[in-house]
Amino acid sequence: MRGLSEQLRNTAKELLREKKVDFVIGYAPGSVNVKTTPYFAFTPEEAENLVWNPLCANILVTYLLDYRYDDVKVAVAVKGCDARAINRLIHDRQLKRDKVVVIGLPCRGILDADKIAAKIDPRATITDFEYAGDNIVVKTDKGDVSLNRKEYLLNKCLVCEDHNPIVADIVIGEPVQGIAAEDNFAEVKQLEALSPAERDAYWEKQFNRCIRCYACRNICPACNCKECCFDQAEPQWLGKANNSAENHVFHLTRAMHVAGRCIDCGECDRICPMDIPLRKLNKKILKDMKELFGIDTPGKKTEDDNPIGSYRLDDPDEFNY
Amino acid sequence: MANKTLKKDQVVSLLNKVAATYQLIAPVADDSVVMFKPLSSAEGVVFDYVNSVLPPKDYFFPQTEQMFKFSTRNNQIVINPPDPVKERVLFGIRPCDVQSIIAMDKVFDREYKDTYYLDKRAKTTIIAVSCTEPLPTCFCTSVGGSPTSAPGADLLLTDVGDVYLVEVLSEKGEAFVQKFSEFFGNENGEGAKKAEVEKAVAAKFVRTTSLEGVKAKLDNMFEHPYWERLARKCLGCACCTYVCPTCHCFDICDFNSNGFEGERFRCWDSCMFADYTRMAGGHNPRPTKKERVRNRFLHKLKYSWDRYGLGHCVGCGRCSRECPVNLDIYTVISDVKEVDANV
Amino acid sequence: MPMCDNCQNPLIPHPATITKIIDETPDVKTFQVVFDDPEIQKNFRPKPGQVAQFSVIGVGEATISITSALPRIIKENMVEFSIKKVGRLTTVIHELEVGSKVAIRGPYGTHFPYEMMKGKDLLFIGGGIGLAPLRSLIDFVLDEENRDQYGKVDIIYGARSKADLCFKYDLFDRWPKCKDTNVYVTIDREEPGWDGHVGFVPSYLEELNPSPENRVAITCGPPIMIKFVLQGLEKMGYKDDQVITTLELKMKCGIGKCGRCNIGYKYVCVDGPVFSLAQLRELPPEF
Repeated sequence: MRGLSEQLRNTAKELLREKKVDFVIGYAPGSVNVKTTPYFAFTPEEAENLVWNPLCANILVTYLLDYRYDDVKVAVAVKGCDARAINRLIHDRQLKRDKVVVIGLPCRGILDADKIAAKIDPRATITDFEYAGDNIVVKTDKGDVSLNRKEYLLNKCLVCEDHNPIVADIVIGEPVQGIAAEDNFAEVKQLEALSPAERDAYWEKQFNRCIRCYACRNICPACNCKECCFDQAEPQWLGKANNSAENHVFHLTRAMHVAGRCIDCGECDRICPMDIPLRKLNKKILKDMKELFGIDTPGKKTEDDNPIGSYRLDDPDEFNY
Repeated sequence: MANKTLKKDQVVSLLNKVAATYQLIAPVADDSVVMFKPLSSAEGVVFDYVNSVLPPKDYFFPQTEQMFKFSTRNNQIVINPPDPVKERVLFGIRPCDVQSIIAMDKVFDREYKDTYYLDKRAKTTIIAVSCTEPLPTCFCTSVGGSPTSAPGADLLLTDVGDVYLVEVLSEKGEAFVQKFSEFFGNENGEGAKKAEVEKAVAAKFVRTTSLEGVKAKLDNMFEHPYWERLARKCLGCACCTYVCPTCHCFDICDFNSNGFEGERFRCWDSCMFADYTRMAGGHNPRPTKKERVRNRFLHKLKYSWDRYGLGHCVGCGRCSRECPVNLDIYTVISDVKEVDANV
Repeated sequence: MPMCDNCQNPLIPHPATITKIIDETPDVKTFQVVFDDPEIQKNFRPKPGQVAQFSVIGVGEATISITSALPRIIKENMVEFSIKKVGRLTTVIHELEVGSKVAIRGPYGTHFPYEMMKGKDLLFIGGGIGLAPLRSLIDFVLDEENRDQYGKVDIIYGARSKADLCFKYDLFDRWPKCKDTNVYVTIDREEPGWDGHVGFVPSYLEELNPSPENRVAITCGPPIMIKFVLQGLEKMGYKDDQVITTLELKMKCGIGKCGRCNIGYKYVCVDGPVFSLAQLRELPPEF
């Protein structure tokens, strides 16, 4: 995959050299060898630090919100799932399409850093990745490690529906195919099979662990309100105490606020320090909305079709508020 | 007091007996997350973890803590203290976390005594356990700590094979050993074995830097463009501050349950939140991520030295592991050593 | 091992009763309060410039400067707090009535260096609600017990309009009657019925141009006013240790623990709120 990183760097350098963008948001090697970190390149020299590989987990589109009121043009690297966030921001009127250059990254799945950490010598330098059938070979200066993708990819990548970005101005490399997608809603169905009391106990346990760091909200491209209701002092919608009641209010309110808008990037779930399976919560709502309204996964279409956030004159229901 | 030994296969029985008299607080796995919890028995205690996701600070400085109960009925204010805390035994914390408690002592035991914290501190016996398998993100030795010594703990256990070497580090530790004397044997060469363990652990650290020159450099880096660069990728969440064993910022709020009765509580707050310093009138001395990120790292690596005479980064690596965008304090330390402070 | 046998919990506030409310401006009221426990009232001895934590139990708590000074606190057996309605808690405070219960803890923080000021002329420069903390020192200095120990007192004060002037009874009645005391009042814009000075405080200061000779300047007001006042004083030749100000940052605990009021390694609640300009220059510009 080194060639693709090279191609990405060249693309970024060209965009910066020709002043087509003010800066490029991509990935650089992280502080541990199994992670990358978001990286902002302002000069062609800085673009030299960019990489693209199966450790590039973070969604970068959310950063565009930091610049939404600025007069800047930004290039951003997006994987298939992240590309839906571009449409999300456009639908939510938080981004003008001509203010962003989308660098599309066809993606065969991202490795779960927590899982592979046990397999890769922490002192090793990862030099490249190669695909061999169901496996991915992590090449390092201390030897190669072959990993079964089904075992070591992020869960979300096993049910990926957009390996290739649906929005892109420039595409790095050729379109790819991932491994055969499993049932997208298998985990939701497991939860649905529980009794209400069991489900309640399940979420009670999960939410009790929440420390309310708001990482889930802050990384979420659908959480793009200028001021979040949870930050408002007057009126104060959510108490600051960490307890079951307030934590439920936080998570359930957030889930409803992103209902029909959540692009299912799974970032909330991946980055939660307390491993709360937030994606299951959002996926349950997505599943219901697909069944009730026949919607696509939000962000998939260029036009906004969110049944909760839109109103049509021919709507059979009254507009109640 | 002389060192003791504790047979590994006796630890569960010891903890069970402890739980009968004290409140036992020990690491358990909540799904995949290792955290300290109050337990009624030793069932479920994990021994093979490297470090908990959340530090044990919750047991001295709870995320949400009642300060007092109140009633305002009949235009009279009645204030009642919270229910008293039981004597506790905190088992299994790591040397970095012991150091973090020393760091918090400096905050809460100053010109004003924080009685909530100090009461819990006085009622807690700390049994620390040396690390034998540091994580790739661990760097206690880079910030002056050690994986195998824990000044400030009451007892320190070190795995030297079939037994733990038990170092008795305080009177409280001594009282504990006497109270549960049937579990403790006399040292017989285990001290020498510990020296070997120490050597082996030291060699396992992937991260090795030092704080040399960092504070002096930071003294002149307030206006450095580094902070703006660093802050760009920060999400502004509180993850780093909540998993940090020395972060101690809090908010104070009233909960009014029925218009007359309720409680005043304090709860963790984070300097990474925009509203943390935003005043009621709208003025905010730290209005953007740049100021907030800078404040956090200066607090850990500079202000703590200026104010308390010790560092507020103990090298536990929690923020390194948990930060959603890999904004790693170890990288910051390394960067600060590298950058030209005069830019 | 830190210990705390029998030490007082500094975070518990003491119940008090509002005995009088003075409407200063459309959004500022002065509350006179008396602690319910006479012992607490007797021992509440703030120094000029200190602050207290003011609670409405069940609503919340905020840092408020103590507006009255010691000799009067003793003589009249009550404490004054002038509070501007800016947020959730202060809105509730403004709805309180005489007889309402509040709770107070403190006093906290540093005080104006009134010892160092002895024998010197004093120049007070205030804007809006910023006069509230200055008033504790003005009252302290002008009290007959202390008046002879200080030189001339000049007070420059401004507000947006006549209605927004705080402590009108002090400005136009009480203070001008005191020995060697001049009060200069200004409002931002002309308005009917006002024949006094019109203009911003910093420009009035430059117009009056009080000499730095044996004088200490004490200022408090909105950040933008302080900024230009400090520049003006510097131009007039005031040295950094001749200029004193008091800062307002968001505070919660008031006792140097909760973290939010730090400027560099200093905490405004315990190392401030009163700072000399010389001290402020040692701190990062983050307030």
